[in-house]
Amino acid sequence: MSDDLDPLRRARPDRLQPDDPIDPAVLSDQRERFMSSIDQTGAAPQTERRTPSIYPRLAYRDEVAALEYLTRVFGFREWRESRMENATGMLAWLEVGDGVVMIGRSGPEHHDISSPADAGAVTCMVNVYVDNVDAHYARAAAEGARIVMPLEDMFWGDRRYEALDLEGHRWHFGERLSHVRARLEG
Amino acid sequence: MEPTDAEIIGASFDDPAAFAAIFDRHAAVLLRFLVRRVGPDAAEGLVGESFRIAFERRAGYDCTRPSARPWLYGIATNVLARHRRAEARRLAALDRLPRPPADALDDQVVEQIDARELLPRVAATIAALPPGERDALLLYAWEDLGYDDIAAALGIPLGTVRSRLNRARRRLRELREPEGAAGEQRSTHSEDRGRIGS
Repeated sequence: MSDDLDPLRRARPDRLQPDDPIDPAVLSDQRERFMSSIDQTGAAPQTERRTPSIYPRLAYRDEVAALEYLTRVFGFREWRESRMENATGMLAWLEVGDGVVMIGRSGPEHHDISSPADAGAVTCMVNVYVDNVDAHYARAAAEGARIVMPLEDMFWGDRRYEALDLEGHRWHFGERLSHVRARLEG
Repeated sequence: MEPTDAEIIGASFDDPAAFAAIFDRHAAVLLRFLVRRVGPDAAEGLVGESFRIAFERRAGYDCTRPSARPWLYGIATNVLARHRRAEARRLAALDRLPRPPADALDDQVVEQIDARELLPRVAATIAALPPGERDALLLYAWEDLGYDDIAAALGIPLGTVRSRLNRARRRLRELREPEGAAGEQRSTHSEDRGRIGS
């Protein structure tokens, strides 16, 4: 076979300079890690996820950093098998209780949705009920969330706080006071 | 008879550990692919990541395809998209390879020397390709995948594979023409936004 691609074929790195043979230890190490990650996730149901009838899509300049932030700081859980990646961006779905948020990249070519970091304004707030807002607040504060309203009991029956994430999206985290009382009384 | 990949993936729904057989069959090939693209250090972790993603996405596997290899190539290609910098470093390292000694001039070595003469320009051409073209081209020329398997791997229509490879061929053909004749063609293709190193 000889054609325009020959220079490229010959430039395959291991044809120019043969690689050392693959170290079997590398593969067995990766295999072991892979298998232990399966053990943790193996029990997870592989059935179709139930997506709520309404769920927001938030835009970030750096959606990869946002994914890391939202899971670390706010404790959201990613639907890892749903993640879509390509050269022009990533889409991810994050689960909180029975709710879902979707995150993607900001910009005209991404449904024209802007990150507050680009728009210079926040145009919505996402409200989230969590199981233990005290613990949630402590974690978010410790991980560096920008708390913009302190944790307080409100007259409408919620304990809540509000925080901005890495690009300025505003999040409202709450727990019903009746739930707080039940939790504290054990 | 050995079960097909599709059968193993099917069985892995009830028995996740069965997926280990997919790793055993394809991990070495995938690792070599990743080494070619990003070098040995970066490739190591990426092979594990690719299989973890494959496992999580196994519900989406098209069970009419007996071999999982194109599917796995596609997943690994997606993983590479987040490591363009490592890939750029790998390409830059290519043209710093030592040249073979001139006294061992058998055919193979002559070919190698020829390849190395062109190498800096080949490496630069690969680096300048839009990612979609580069991915399709290297699956074809380095991994010997057919058009159909590339289409399956990248999740694109067959016609798109053809047009990407044709564009890439044209760019490579220009390498063989004398400097200047091909011109420093600046592509204004919109996919260029994702270029390596830019």
